[in-house]
Amino acid sequence: MDFKKFRKKSPWLLHYNTGSCNGCDIEILACLAPKYDLERFGILNRGNPKQSDVLIVTGPVTKRARERLIRLYFEMPEPKVVVAVGACACTGGVFRHMYNVLNGVDKVIPVDVYVPGCAARPEAIIDGVAKALEILEKKKKDFVPPKVCKNVEVKEPINRKFLLEKCLGVKNEG
Amino acid sequence: MSLALLITLLSPVIGGFVYGVERILRARMQGRVGPPLLQPFYDFFKLLEKRSMVIHSFHAFMGLMYLLGTWFSLYVLLSGGDILIAIFFHLLSLAFLVVGGFSVRSSYSILGSMRELLHMVAYEPVFVLAAAGLYLITGTFQISQILHSDKLPLLYLPLVFIALLLTLPSVLKKSPFDVAEAHQEIIGGPEIEYSGKFYEAIYTAKWIEYVYAFFFVFLFAGGSWWLGALLVLLSFFLVNLIDNATARVNFRQMVAFHWCVLIPLVVINLMLLALWRS
Repeated sequence: MDFKKFRKKSPWLLHYNTGSCNGCDIEILACLAPKYDLERFGILNRGNPKQSDVLIVTGPVTKRARERLIRLYFEMPEPKVVVAVGACACTGGVFRHMYNVLNGVDKVIPVDVYVPGCAARPEAIIDGVAKALEILEKKKKDFVPPKVCKNVEVKEPINRKFLLEKCLGVKNEG
Repeated sequence: MSLALLITLLSPVIGGFVYGVERILRARMQGRVGPPLLQPFYDFFKLLEKRSMVIHSFHAFMGLMYLLGTWFSLYVLLSGGDILIAIFFHLLSLAFLVVGGFSVRSSYSILGSMRELLHMVAYEPVFVLAAAGLYLITGTFQISQILHSDKLPLLYLPLVFIALLLTLPSVLKKSPFDVAEAHQEIIGGPEIEYSGKFYEAIYTAKWIEYVYAFFFVFLFAGGSWWLGALLVLLSFFLVNLIDNATARVNFRQMVAFHWCVLIPLVVINLMLLALWRS
């Protein structure tokens, strides 16, 4: 039996705010509220990286948020997709080239779908998530390392804690 | 006996449907459409296919033992065994979950496990006293005989039944008594570190707990099974109504409510029964 088609039917979300102005976050919550009701498609906001399939990131990625974002990305089991919501998450938006931001999510982790808009409308977010689910269905279960891990060799079975320490150059104490 | 085994083996399917109906009911109460009825099974198959990340083997093993323990306690109930043994096996299965939660270094997991212990402190006495009440009426702890007795326990134990109804949110981890699994604050408590197939075991054990908890409501109708089914439907609706209408209390209020309101309620009922008998 092919279980791949069930990926599309029950995607669980993880939402992370990397220094956004909360505009996009409110719109994401509006998607889950009665008017748009994303649970119709089996989408739940889990808030737990170990049980989620879709990572929704808002904000231009401040330097503080970078390490947490990479850590959350490592903690999600494959297959997973990343959706960057809002102008800030796509390019840096109004915060672009400021001293404290990294100009978008794709500078840190691999992004599958970009949802533009300031703030992104709920319809656009739903459309983006639907696109992400099509990608999720085709994804393989390989681990795609983020850019900071360019020089580190990834081999099965993946020891995520070791890899995270190597990539970030810090001791992981959690 | 073989029928009991069959129903026990099918209990994840039954519990999954109950959970699916519950999600739709909850959505309708909030003015939403809600997911399809088979949504829990879609989640089940998706989790089956996801990559599992194991913290350490003991933690994963405890997750599986939680499923097995709950399943076995349900088998004791359905095969007409001793009601106290079923309660104690359920307690043991929760102990597996708590030990697993304590064995990892995640602070949410440890906090959730402590709260899970408080849940057990809160609702298990009510269950044991309810079993004692059923014993006073029917003269036996054997479920097969309770289910064929000609007396109606509901008539003699109305306060015990009310107390049991009000503990159901605590057993099923629903508002206002969901401190162990507070999804907005400790994100699932003891289950937070499980992923993939091992989270699936926890998820399935929760469905089995639905069947386990509502079977106790069913017992209060004694031999009249249609009334029992009606009671189960009403209590299912009531639990969801309370879940949607209330906010989470803290653990002190939860334990205080169980020990200062529900247990005295049960004890008053049992004492009046004893006085009336003599």
